[in-house]
This record gives sequence, structure tokens and C-alpha cells, in this order.
Amino acid sequence: MIRRFHVVAIPIRIVVNNFGDHNPDGRMYVLKENEEKVKKLVRQNPFTPVELVQPLTIRANEGDVVEILFENQLPFATGMHFQESDYDPRTSDGSNAGFNPSSLAECGETVLYTIHATTEGIHFFTDMGNVSSTEQGSSLQGLFGTLIVERRGSWWTDPVTGGPIESGVFADIHNPFLPSFREYAWFFNDEMEVNDLTGNRPLNPVTNQEAESFHGVNYRFEPLGNRKRLIEEGIVSPELDGEEVHHDSWVFGDPATPILRGYRGDPAVIRLIHGAAKETHVFHYHAHQWLRDPSNERSEVVDAQAISPQSHYDVWPLYGLGSLPGSIGDAIIHCHLYPHFEAGMWGINRIFDTLQDGSQCYPNGIPIAALQPLPDRPCPPKPTPERPGFPNFIPGKVGCKAPRPPLGIVGGREMTELERNAAVPNARPGAVFVDACLGNPVVVEFNVSLIELPIIYNRQGWYDPKGRIYVLDEEIDDVLSGRKEPEPLTLHIPASSCIRMNFTNRLPHILDGDAFQLVTRTYENAFHVHFVKFDILVADGASVGWNYDSSVLPGETIRYEWYADTELKAFFFHDHLFPVSHQQHGVFGTSVIQPRFSRTFDSRTGEEVFHGTQVTVQNPLIPDYRDFSLFIQDFAFLFDKNGCPIQPPPFPGSSEDPGVFAVNYKNEPLQFRLGEDCDPAYSFSSYVSGDPVTPILMAYEGDPIRIRLLQGSHEESHAFNLHGLRWPLERPDNDSILTSQHHIGISESFTLEMEIPRAGDYLYAFEDEEDVWLGTWGLIRAFDEEVPDLIPLTDRPLPPPRTQPLPKVTGKPPKLADPLCSLPPLAPLNAPIRRYSVVAIQTPIVYNKYGDHDPFGIVFALEEDVEDILCGRKNPEPLVLRGNQGDLVEVTLTSMLEFEKFPFQDGIHPYPPVKEQAFYPPSLRISLHPNLLDYDVRTSSGNTVGFNPDQTVGPGERITYRWYVFSNVGTCAMWDVADLRNHRSFGAFGAFIAEPRFTSNYLDPHTLQPIRTGTSAVIEHPLFGRFREFVLVMHDGVRLEDKNGHVIIDPLAGVIPQADLDDEVDTYDFGSRGFNYRSERLINRYREHPVLADLFSSKVFGDPATPVFEAYPGEPVFIRLTIPSERRRAHTFHLHGHNWKFDPRDVDSRIVSYVGHMVAGDAQDLPLIGGAGGTFNFPGDYLYRSGNIRWDIEQGMWGIFRVHPCIQPHLPRLEDS
Amino acid sequence: MVTPNSNLNSQSVDINRIHDTALVNHFTENIGRRAFLLTPSYPFMFIGEIIDVMEDMVELCVETTHFSQLENRNWFIHIHNIEVFYIETPDGPCIPELRDDL
Repeated sequence: MIRRFHVVAIPIRIVVNNFGDHNPDGRMYVLKENEEKVKKLVRQNPFTPVELVQPLTIRANEGDVVEILFENQLPFATGMHFQESDYDPRTSDGSNAGFNPSSLAECGETVLYTIHATTEGIHFFTDMGNVSSTEQGSSLQGLFGTLIVERRGSWWTDPVTGGPIESGVFADIHNPFLPSFREYAWFFNDEMEVNDLTGNRPLNPVTNQEAESFHGVNYRFEPLGNRKRLIEEGIVSPELDGEEVHHDSWVFGDPATPILRGYRGDPAVIRLIHGAAKETHVFHYHAHQWLRDPSNERSEVVDAQAISPQSHYDVWPLYGLGSLPGSIGDAIIHCHLYPHFEAGMWGINRIFDTLQDGSQCYPNGIPIAALQPLPDRPCPPKPTPERPGFPNFIPGKVGCKAPRPPLGIVGGREMTELERNAAVPNARPGAVFVDACLGNPVVVEFNVSLIELPIIYNRQGWYDPKGRIYVLDEEIDDVLSGRKEPEPLTLHIPASSCIRMNFTNRLPHILDGDAFQLVTRTYENAFHVHFVKFDILVADGASVGWNYDSSVLPGETIRYEWYADTELKAFFFHDHLFPVSHQQHGVFGTSVIQPRFSRTFDSRTGEEVFHGTQVTVQNPLIPDYRDFSLFIQDFAFLFDKNGCPIQPPPFPGSSEDPGVFAVNYKNEPLQFRLGEDCDPAYSFSSYVSGDPVTPILMAYEGDPIRIRLLQGSHEESHAFNLHGLRWPLERPDNDSILTSQHHIGISESFTLEMEIPRAGDYLYAFEDEEDVWLGTWGLIRAFDEEVPDLIPLTDRPLPPPRTQPLPKVTGKPPKLADPLCSLPPLAPLNAPIRRYSVVAIQTPIVYNKYGDHDPFGIVFALEEDVEDILCGRKNPEPLVLRGNQGDLVEVTLTSMLEFEKFPFQDGIHPYPPVKEQAFYPPSLRISLHPNLLDYDVRTSSGNTVGFNPDQTVGPGERITYRWYVFSNVGTCAMWDVADLRNHRSFGAFGAFIAEPRFTSNYLDPHTLQPIRTGTSAVIEHPLFGRFREFVLVMHDGVRLEDKNGHVIIDPLAGVIPQADLDDEVDTYDFGSRGFNYRSERLINRYREHPVLADLFSSKVFGDPATPVFEAYPGEPVFIRLTIPSERRRAHTFHLHGHNWKFDPRDVDSRIVSYVGHMVAGDAQDLPLIGGAGGTFNFPGDYLYRSGNIRWDIEQGMWGIFRVHPCIQPHLPRLEDS
Repeated sequence: MVTPNSNLNSQSVDINRIHDTALVNHFTENIGRRAFLLTPSYPFMFIGEIIDVMEDMVELCVETTHFSQLENRNWFIHIHNIEVFYIETPDGPCIPELRDDL
């Protein structure tokens, strides 16, 4: 079927909330038939949101051909680039890339796109004509939308009228063979221009400084500042503080942001899209869970999911709206990054229990729009005076904060008559309107309080004078008296339990002011939980919409009830009333829902316990394991031992990236671990500086372990890396790929399950440069002999008695490792050996033809290539090593580093910057660490960690690492761990590719002769034939100089047309970026030819300096993608016109055209569906690039994948001999 | 005419029949004993007493499954759906006692 749309790109004023905040320079896509209407409505309503001003959402069915007549009314060339779709790039890419003809439309012109809607799901579209990251750009100002492809045979109706619709973010979807469902398109976007009613940038009413930039949903945002101003002006309850009622409709009425409406139990999907431009958000949906990969039933269940720019997910809440218990009420949906949440990035899922036919009103008199019941579901009952339905049975008072729930607060109130009519027969504290526990399961009960106390974070005396933590009531005295070290509260609960929580607020009324924060009256707080099932109205631990305020005042106790229906990951908990103000002080914890029938024990004493970040779990059916909980935290507001604030913001109350980082209320900054020799290579060595104060997770060799990875606070992405171990990405799925790295954002929770094959110290690190610099690392220590402080697992052989004394701190570097004395744990004796000789050298690297270069490059190279590189015959590219499954790879590393060739010999590395700059001189030692491969961590991990021997090499030394390719795990990142501050961003990284077993040859793509290294190769296999392999090493944090030798201060130096001097650049945004030591910074092209629409054109500029990978239509292609280095900013990778499986090993996995939130250590394999040219094998030039408009694409993170239509002399076909 | 493939098929049917019959007989012989079963479909795990065997369906008085709401009732489980099982006999190890309240 052919569907036709006439889409217009128009300039539009976007009013983003009811306070008149607006973007005067908005841009959006709209259907032609709505163009005049929307323009007229906007003219008539200059300070009121207009519903038609929303990201364009159109629909088609699987298998349809969609013809878009695109008309451009913007003053620059624009287009529509579709992700996930199949199309001919020469006509329908919506770009002007490479040697393709332009498929952009100039102002006033039209262009016709033909899009094949091959796969069900989100086909996000955006503009590639103007990728400026400024307010003169297109995406940043709102120019994005989506085509949603439904199942074949579907149709869609308006949820209010039931009539047909052509576009719109909300629709009801129907299919003759499938249940009808609600569909809600939810577009995050950030950094959009916003002015207030007066035409000035909005101010924060507390600090009186410029407010946080726009962070919204569907072109709307509802910031705390606006609502707080109403309190300050006395328009609503002046006794309130603000944050606690930010989401309270009783006080303020409903927000301008989306309200996703449905009836209890309705099947629904949120089409979650990150439209633009910079931040990686964490989407969190209260009281609901969904599969991370909805087409894979064995995928992880999540309730918070990080999403980076130009990426998207389908969120299908399990059990439909209201989840398993069928809760009703308002479930808030928000970005969990608190500064974004405060800035207004939230909306509501409103679940009704009575029919809404348009005749009802909310308590404030606003009519409730009609909502058609889904045709295949029972019609909800009509409201009656006795049973008015949500929200009209709640005894609230408009203009005042929400009432407290009945029954829940100790000493509190009973139910009103209307509440009793709405309640379940067995209403009880914490479960009034639904029976959350589905009957009468076993009950576990906890008494927990939130308290304030000083917390010391490290041996140098860094401390938080206002630490705020959850503690068990029975441990309050021990924690306050110092007998028990504070740690994030971690409860262990068997699955199938009903959990009753008696929570007491023991905080002082006031969070005192200091260099970080202004005085805040955090007078009430709560216990909000993730994952488990509960009554949203009374047990959410929040104050949302027309719900109750389920928090308590100081000294009060509230009772919640939750149900752990099945084994879950660690579920996150925190306060939801003042989290922006105090979560970074430690207000977070977790409960781990263990397998049913489990018992937990203190790993040191063997005493049965039900809490603790390190426990041993016994279960009668499955193997026993160690259970470790790790919380990363940022925005930690610490003071040094002299009482000076560490990394305070520019002014108190600013959210400009204040404070430092920690793990479980501890950190171990590298600057304090230089030792006597001042050599960074031993920063992780316990011989030199003792064990870190951060958690050391203890086990015996062979023990199964589960790491519960969580982020407690507050705004940023982190890159968890575990050296020497690996786990399945989708834990329930036996077909899952393995990984050694995980991106995490606040409130996400992951369970990493694995076994420790061999004794030794394993480094875990949140390993972007700044995190690890500030101390977010620790150890997993596995013993081969008995130790007194660790009970053995009951179902494993007892560890042998200790014969060797435990190692001790010497203050001296350890002895060199001897990797050839042992085999990797999984390697057989007769494994074939593949040898590489690698040398670390310093050499200038030229990044592009405009003269941008790194004069201080540090690269790994094969010994045979060193001379060519050093004499300039060869511009280096990242080292790519390959091995087959089953190979034992021996890599001999030599260091040729010279102190004089380092840029910052005084030991202060000023750019790209990190927080807490300190003396840390460059090391002449270097190492090579691969992730994912199998090796003995004591000899071949490439780190000198804990009490392991030295695995780095200095000048004149050699070490031969032994790595076993136990499986064809594909891409493995490689990097140096000897000096993460002075080496890695200069190029000390590469990739290892683990190829399938029996691969016969790695060939040069141009000569088809065998090669030893190279980012582009033809891989030959006797069974699979040949495929092309392109290795893309994405990296950032690069210090480049221009052709005149001036340091390029990216990202702002690369902004087109020019940066706004007020642009806030976090430390981790600094530095240049690109692929494979190349960067095609658009600013260079723009200076030569200042036409935005031509910047990707090879016809104008020639091909970019970044790799141009070549193939013929239909040839099998694997892209090996990794990001070994190094900053905390997460990037999206997108390849135009091609798709692959989210999990390449799983046929059930969803189909995507992007990789989201890439941070240090990530490694991906992208087998292109249909091969080169996508499903239809269209020849042409396809862009590969970052999805971050701000600040990646301008800064050179893009290149071209060229699919030739006819044979090229320089490129043999795969079938050629 | 009988092809080699159909020969193979008929042979495999016979083997399957023998296999199924043996299973049915084994469960029938152990009526009244406790059994532990794993199935690939929800709720994956059952522990309980074998009450009866009807054709190729086992009736189990389920004391424990993955999900407590589905316990303390009789389940009819198709023998083909049983991937792993263990039947407690006087001379074998006991199936562990699984209790929520420990």
C-alpha cells in the first residue's frame, strides 16, 4: 500500500507551558492540511500552548511504501532523514551526503521521498540540512518527528472522538487479529531556545540566575521555577517550599506537559524518542515495567532506561496500564536526571477507573476530555455520586497540597465514605485502592528511617557534613555513633514476598546552606520504590498529579506495601519529595529481590542477615553466590579536611555540574596514589598505596557472583567497566551477547551475573577519565586459599587452607608479571598460538587535511609498521588485532615512550580538563588491556591492580600478554591502563576483533592479500564465505592543534556558525572527537564554503578524512564499533539506511539503526541486515555519524559508507579471487 | 514405495513412542511420590505429589512453583512439556524443603 503525506517544515512560535514561556524561533514539521490552522492558532494564542504544535507523528503499516512530499518553508535547506526505514540514498536520504545528489529542499522548494516501512516500530525523522548546534540549527529548535510503523492491517483512531486521524502524538491502534492499544509518542528534547513571557531568558526564582535550559517533552516543559513563583507570590499555599509539590495538580492544576490517558488495564505503548540534542536522559515510568528489548521475551525487565540523542525505544508496560495489581491514579513519567526533572522534563500517565465521556470535571473544574474505551475491552463503569472514580473520590482541596493517604500514616486518618466506596474490601495501610499483593503471600516487614549525619568519603578526609541516608531503625545508634560504617541501605528479600515498609522521617526540617546549595526546607520526605507492585495512589512515596501525597513530616511514620511478584533486579529507592535538593547527599538505596527461598548471610561472619551491600546467598535449588551492590554517585557535595568545598558550583544552587563522584559513599582519587616514585602506572596498586577505601568485593576462586549495579545520584552518565570478567547483556537470555562494560544513568539497575574463574584482583572502574580520576574504582578480590573473613559457599569445594601469607603493602611497585607461566583460565593446552609484537610510540597524528593534528599522539602499532609511522610514510590508525575463536593470542608489548615527548611534563594536564586538577606526571610505562577476552588477571589484564604483579612496561622492557579467544565475541576494546590521564586520549587505544572459529584469512580489501592489522578487512571463512569488516573506533577528549599550532578548544571552537559565549561546557564535553584518529570538523569546511546544506558533500569538499568504507550492493558487512576513550558524555552512533539487531546473536531481538549512549569501553558488532545497501541493496553514500547534534556532528564525528553501483578498479568484489 | 526417509521417520516415531511410554510408565509407577519438574513454559518449576497419570498427562498436587499464587492446587502437566524431572524415592536424596518463611 502506498501512503502519501505532504509535510511542511515551518518556522513556528512554540509556547512551551501555561506560563507563557516560549521559543520564538521554533521549527517543526507539520502536515500541509494543518499548516494554516496551526499558524492561525499560534497567532491567536501567542502565550498559550497550541495542541497542534507538537512533534509530527504520522503512521503507516509494515510493508507500506510511504511517499512524502516534503515542502520547505524554512530559510535554509532542510530535509527529512528517516531512521530504520529503507530507501534509496540518492533520492530519499534527506541529506546532501558524499557523492549522492542532494535530497534536501531549498527554501520554498519541494522534494519527494519514497520510504519503505519494512519494520514495525519507530522510524524517527529529523533534518540533516542544518546540523548547527546553536539556536540557528534545526533539530535543536524542534525540527524532528516520527513515522510509526504499525503491524500490517492496523488502523488508528482519535482517543477522544474515536474518529480517524492523520497525525498526532496520541492514537488508539486497532488490528483485526490483535488487541487494540493506546499509543503515546513521547519526544524528549533538550537545549531548545526558551524565553519567558517578557522575552527574556527565564530566571530561577531561588537563585535569581538564569534558569536551567529547556528540558522537555513534546515541546513542553513544566519547570519547578514557574510553579515555585506562584507559591512565593502567595497565589497558592504560601506555606509550601516548592519541590515537594512540583508535580502536584491539587496545588497547580495539571501540567502543560503530556498526560497519557487510559483506563485500568489498557494495553499501551509509549514510543519513546530522543529528538535532540545533547543529553542522555533516563526515562522512568512509575509503577510500570517493560522489556528492554520488546521483541525478545527473555530480555531484561526495566523501569528506567537511558536514552541518548536520536535514539528511541518502544515501552510496552507489562500487564498494561496500572501494571499487575491494576492500579489507578497518576503515574509520573520523567527524566530521572534531577536537574532535568527540576527543569520540567516530566509528564503523567493518568489511569482512570470510570468512563470519561466528557461530562466530568477534575476537582479544579477543568473538564475531563472524553476518552474512548478500547473496543475489545470491557467498558469502565460510569461515574456515580457515590463512586465518582479517580480523582474525584480524593478529599483534596484545590490550591492546597494533596491530602495524605488514609490508613497509611501511623496515627493518621481513616477513610472517608467516598474513599471507602473506592477501596478494596481488605484495604490496609499502603494498599487501599488495589490489593497490591494479590492475596496473602508471606510478609516481610522493615522499619527504616532517613537520617542526617556527616559521612567521610576517603582517607584524605573529604566529607559530606550533611550526609543523608536510609538506615534500619535498629541500626540508627550504631551508625550515628560510628560503630557501623554508613553504606547505601541494601535489603535482601526473597521473591514472592509482600513487603511492608514502616518508614520514619528523622531528618531535620532544614537542609542547611553552603557553597553548593541554598537553605532548603526539606520538611517532608518519603520512600519511593522501583520495580515492585503497589497502589500508585497511596504507596508511590511521591506527590503526583491528583494522587495523595504519600510522604510524611518529621517524626511521623508511614506504612507502605509492595509486592515482589517475581525475582527482580535490585530495585532502587529514594525520596521523591526533595530529591533535587538532597539525593546527592546519599538518599538512595536498594532492595534486591532474590530468588524465592533464598537466604542471605554476612559474607564475613556467616551470620544470617537481610541487608548489606555484600552478602552470600544460599538457595536450595540454584548455586549459591556472592551478591554485591555498587552505587555510583555524582554531584557529591564534599568538603576537604580543612572545610573547603570541593568543586563548588559558580553560585550556590547552581546545577552547573557541582561536586565530585563516589561509589557507595567512598572515593579513592588517583591524585593521592602516586607513591614515592610518582608513577601513575601504580595508582591502582595496593602494594604501593594500600587497598582503596572503595568497596572490595570478596570471593573465592570459582565463586558465582552477582553485581547489582546502580546509580544513586544525580545527573550524569557513567561507564562501568570490569577488567577480566564478562556477563550476558540480557541476563535472562541464554543467547545474549557478552559484555564487560555497561553504561548507567541514575535509577537504572543492572544485574551482572558471572563466575570468577581464577584468584586475583579484578579492577572495576567507572572508567571515563574524570570519574576514575576522582576515585570511582575498586576491586573484586578472589582468593585461592582460605581467608578468615570470608565464608565459603556451601555448595562449592572448601578453599584449601592458607599456605601463603596474604600480600602486604610495601610502598614499592610490585614485581613484573610473568604471563607465560600460566594459561588463561579457559584455554586448553593445545590452543593454536597467534603472535603479535606491539610497540607503543609517540608520533604526531594528522586528523584531517585542514591541518588539525595531535602533535603528541601516543599509538600502539605492530613492530613492522613502526618505522613507516615514525618517518611519516604512514599516518597511524588505531591498532586493530584479530584472532579466531580458539586462538591463544600472545601479544608482546614494548614501550618506546620518551618523557620529552609528553606535552605536560610538569605533571599538570590542563586540557581537556578534569575536576580537581592535581600533579600527576606522565608515566613512561604503558600497558594494553582488552575487554571481553579470557586471560589470567594476575598476568595479562594490562593493569597493575591491587596485589597483582606489574603488567605495565617501561622503556626497554617487554611483556607478553596471553589472551584466549574463548568465543567469537567480536569487537573488544583495547586501551592503556597504566596512565589514564596522560596516555589514553592521545591515542593509546585500539580494538581486538574475535573472529569465528576456522576463519581462514584476514585480507586487505584492495589487494585481497593477507594482512596483520587494519581497520578495513575482508574476512574469509570456509563455511560463511567472505564478509567485509569495518572497524570504527569512536573517541573523544582529544587535544588537537590547528595548522598554526594553536590548541583547538572544542567543542566550542567547532560550533557553526559560532559559539555563544554563554554556552555551558562541562569538563567532560571538552576535547575534540572523531573516528579512527580522524575528525572531519565541519567548521573547517564551513570556513571554506559557508553553506550549511553542503557540509557533508564530497562533491564540494572531497571525501572526509574519517574512514570512507566501501562495498558493493548486497555484500555481507560487519561493522565493529567501539569507544575505548574516554569522556563521560554519551554518544549515539547512527548509520543511515541500514539496520541490525540490537543483540546480534538473538534472532528475536529488535531491529535498530543506532547504538545508544556509547561511553568508554563499549564494544558493538553490527551485522548489517541485507548487507551493503540495506534490505533493498541500494547503492549510494550513507553517512555514519553521532546522533548528538550538540556537540558531536559539527565536531567531526561522521564519515561515509560507500556502496558502489558498479565495479571499481581499486576494490575487488568479495567473490573475486 | 517406501523411501529411506520415510523409513527413518517411522523408526523415529517408534522410538518416540517407546520413549513416551517409558515416561508414562515411570510416572505411573511413582504415583504417590513427590516429584520435581522443570518445564520450558510458565511457571517453569513444580514440586509436588504425583496424584495420577491420565494418558500422557501427569496430575500433580503442586506444593511449590515459581509463583506462590499458583500453588496448593492440582496441575495437569503434559509429559512432552517436562524437560527435567526427579522423583523422590526412599533410596535417593530428598527434594529440598522450600519455605518462604525461613
